[in-house]
Amino acid sequence: MATTTLETFRCMMCGHEYQESVEKGEDKERSCPKCRSNSIRHLKKKAVSDQRSAKTT
Amino acid sequence: MPSTYVLNMNDCLGNNPIACGKCAEACEQNAINYDDHDEILTREIGAIIVAIGLDVYDPTEMDEYGYTRFDNVITSMEFERLICAGGPTAGHFVRPSDQERPKRIGFVQCVGSRNPKIGRPYCSNICCMNTIKDTLLLADHYPDVQNTVFYQDIRASGKSFEDMFQRSKEAGTRYIRGLPGEVEEDPETHNLTVTVENTTSGSLERHELDILVLSVGVQPPKDLAKISSLLTLSKTSDGFFMESHPKLKPVDAPTRGVFFAGFCEAPKDIKDSVCQAGASASRAGALLNTGRIQIEAITSRIDEQACMKCGQCAAVCPYGAINWKKGEVAVVVEAACAGCGACGATCQFDAITMRHFTDDQLIAQVRALLELEPQDKVVVFACNWCSYAGADMAGISRIQYPASNRVVRTMCSARVSEEMVLEAFRCGAPVVLVSGCHYADCHYINANRQTAKRMQRLWDKLEKAGVRPERLQLEWISAAEGQKFAEVMRQMEELRKTVTMEEIEHTRHALQPKHKKIPEKKTATAGAR
Amino acid sequence: MVAPKPLEDEIRIGVFVCDCGLNIAGAVDCAAVTVFAKALPGVVCAVRNKYTCADPGQNEIKDAIRAHKLNRVVVASCTPRQHEPTFRQCVREAGLNPYLMEMANLREHCSWVHPGNREGATRKAMDLVASAAARARFLQPQQELSVPVTKRALVIGGGVAGIEASLQLADAGHKVVLVEKQPSIGGIMAQLDKTYPTMDCSI
Repeated sequence: MATTTLETFRCMMCGHEYQESVEKGEDKERSCPKCRSNSIRHLKKKAVSDQRSAKTT
Repeated sequence: MPSTYVLNMNDCLGNNPIACGKCAEACEQNAINYDDHDEILTREIGAIIVAIGLDVYDPTEMDEYGYTRFDNVITSMEFERLICAGGPTAGHFVRPSDQERPKRIGFVQCVGSRNPKIGRPYCSNICCMNTIKDTLLLADHYPDVQNTVFYQDIRASGKSFEDMFQRSKEAGTRYIRGLPGEVEEDPETHNLTVTVENTTSGSLERHELDILVLSVGVQPPKDLAKISSLLTLSKTSDGFFMESHPKLKPVDAPTRGVFFAGFCEAPKDIKDSVCQAGASASRAGALLNTGRIQIEAITSRIDEQACMKCGQCAAVCPYGAINWKKGEVAVVVEAACAGCGACGATCQFDAITMRHFTDDQLIAQVRALLELEPQDKVVVFACNWCSYAGADMAGISRIQYPASNRVVRTMCSARVSEEMVLEAFRCGAPVVLVSGCHYADCHYINANRQTAKRMQRLWDKLEKAGVRPERLQLEWISAAEGQKFAEVMRQMEELRKTVTMEEIEHTRHALQPKHKKIPEKKTATAGAR
Repeated sequence: MVAPKPLEDEIRIGVFVCDCGLNIAGAVDCAAVTVFAKALPGVVCAVRNKYTCADPGQNEIKDAIRAHKLNRVVVASCTPRQHEPTFRQCVREAGLNPYLMEMANLREHCSWVHPGNREGATRKAMDLVASAAARARFLQPQQELSVPVTKRALVIGGGVAGIEASLQLADAGHKVVLVEKQPSIGGIMAQLDKTYPTMDCSI
C-alpha cells in the first residue's frame, strides 16, 4: 500500500507548471516535461487535497 | 554451458530423496550434493575489475523484420548455435521451418545498432565482422550457398579485417547497401521476401531468401545499474560504463581502485577485450603492489565547542560516518567519511569544517569571481565528479559556449551551502547555477538529494526576499554530458541577460543577513543557547 | 568556521600561468593574465610557462618556492582532474604541503571552449586565477590518511575479459576472487561457434 499525493511543480527555467502524483518517500530525479530542465520547484500544497490511493506498487 | 552437470534447483525434487534422488543413486562418484545452496561469502578486497559484459539486443520491437512472426528469421546468436558442431543440429545448418538446408541466406546489419529511433545510436562494433565471418563459414561449408548482406556501412577497420571482407566478396557474398524496409513470408514455402532500397543503385529491390539472419547489436548488461550504484560508477550516453579519461585512463573507473575490462565499458571484440583485461589487470596489480595508499585529506571535522548537538549533520551523512546521540556532541569517524561535505553545508552553527573545502575558501572564491563587473557573470557551482567533469568534457570536445560562466568546484553539490549561494547574489551575481551528478551517478551514495532539498529552501527564501527565484537554477550534468553543460551555459547566459542592474542592486540589500548566522556572530549564537 | 582569517603578511603566493603550447595561449592572453596575477593580494611572484607540467615548468615552481619563500602555489593551467596529482607532488618535492597548491582551469574551462573570444576568455582566465588565489589564501596544510591495501582482487564477470584479467593477476602472484552469476564461466564468447579474425572455435 503506497501513499501517493498529487503535487504541483514549476520549472524554474521555462515556467511550465504541472502536476504529478508523488509516492511517499520516492527518490526521483525530476526534469521538466517541456524543456527538460532539472530546476524543478516543488510548490507548496494549497488547494491540492491529499488522496490515499489503494493501488499497490 | 557448464562443463559439468549442475542441479537446476527450481526443478529438482532432490531435497526430498523420497520423491526422487535417482541421480544420486546413479552417480558412482557420489558427486551429488542436494544440500548445496547459495551462500554469502565475505572477502576483503583491494582492487576490483568490472567485467560484466553485455546483453544481446532482442529484435522483437523491430517488427518490420518479422522476428517473432516468421520461423526463418533468426538472430546472429541463434545462427551461432545452428552452425556449431556442439549445437542442437550437430553443426548441420538447417532452417527452423522445415529442417532443410537453406541456400539463399540473407544477413541484415545494424539490427539494434546505429538506430537513434529506438534509442540505440551507437555502433555495436562487432556485428560487421561477425557477419563477414559467418559468410565465410557458410561459403566454406557449403559451396552452393548464396549469401546476401544488407548493410549501411561495413566497418572492417581492425587488423586483417579488410582482408576478410575482401575474401567474403571473393567467395561470392553480395553486399547490398541498404537496410530492408519490409520482410514478407510465403505461407506455403516459408521462404522470405525482403524489400530493400539499394542506395548504391538507387533502385527498389526484392530478394527471395530461404533464411534471414538478423545481425543483432549489443547493449549494456541489465546488471549494469546495480553494479554502478554499488561502486558509484558513471555511464556514458550509450549506457556503458564511463572511464576516468577517454584517452589517458581508458581502463580506470572514476572510483579509485576500480577498473574496467571488456564490453561493459564499450562495445569491443574479443581481441580488444583481452587487451583491456590485460591493461586492467596490470593497473589493479600495480595498486595491490603499493601496499598502502593515501586517502585525500578531504574529510569533515566537528568543532566540539561550536556543536549545538542538534544531530542535523548525522541525519544527512550518506555514510553514517557521524556518530551522534541526543544531547551529545557529534563526532566524525574519519575513516568512514568520504568527504562530500553535506554535513558542512547543513550545519547552521558553523561547527563543521570540511577540510580543503572550507566555507572560508569557497566564499573567498565566490567573492573574488564577482569582484569586478559581477553583472556580466554566471556563477556555477559544479561537483568534482560529474558536472565539473562535464565541463571538462565540453572542453575536451571543443564545444563552444558563452564566456560568462565562472565555475566554483566542490567535491559534491551537497557541499554548496545556502550561504554560498546567497553570498553570490549579495556580491551582485545576476544568476547562479548549482550543478551535480544525476541521481543514479552521485559519487557520495545519495548526498545530492540534500542539494535538491536545499534548492527548494533557497527558492522559497529568494521569493520571500522579493528576488526572482528563477535566477537560481539547478542542473544534473554527468561527466559525459559536455553537450548538456554547454547548452546549460547558453541558457544561463540568456537568463543572465534578463536580469537588470536595478534588480541586482535590490538583491544585494534584500539578502543582507538580518542578525544571525554570519561567521563573526558564531560565538554570540553559541552563547545564547 | 575553524580556520581563522590568515594574516596578510604570512601569505606568499606564487602564480604559474601555463601557455600549454597554444592550447591556452592560443585563446587567452597569458601575458596579461600573468601581469594581472602579480597584483592580486598575497601574490609575491607570477610566472608564465610554456608547459608548466613539463620538467622545466615544474623546476620553475620549485625554484620559486625557495627563492620567494612561497607558502602557497597557484597553477593556472588545465583541469585539476588531470594534473592536480602532478603539481601536488611537485610542491611536495619543494618542501610544501601538497594541499597548499591550488589550480585554475584555464584550458578545459576556458581556452578550449572560447577559442574565438580572446577578450572574453582572457577576462574569464583572470577571474579564475583571482578565485584560485583567493582560495589559496585560506588553504591549510593537510595530512592524508594512509590505509593498507588488501592484497586481493575481485573480478566481477567470468566472460573472456574477466577470465583473462583474473589469469593475468593470478600469474602476477595476486589472489583473485572471480564471481560469475551463471553456473559456468565463459560468458557470451562460449556461446559462439567460430570467432573472427582467426576463424577458430571460441572455447
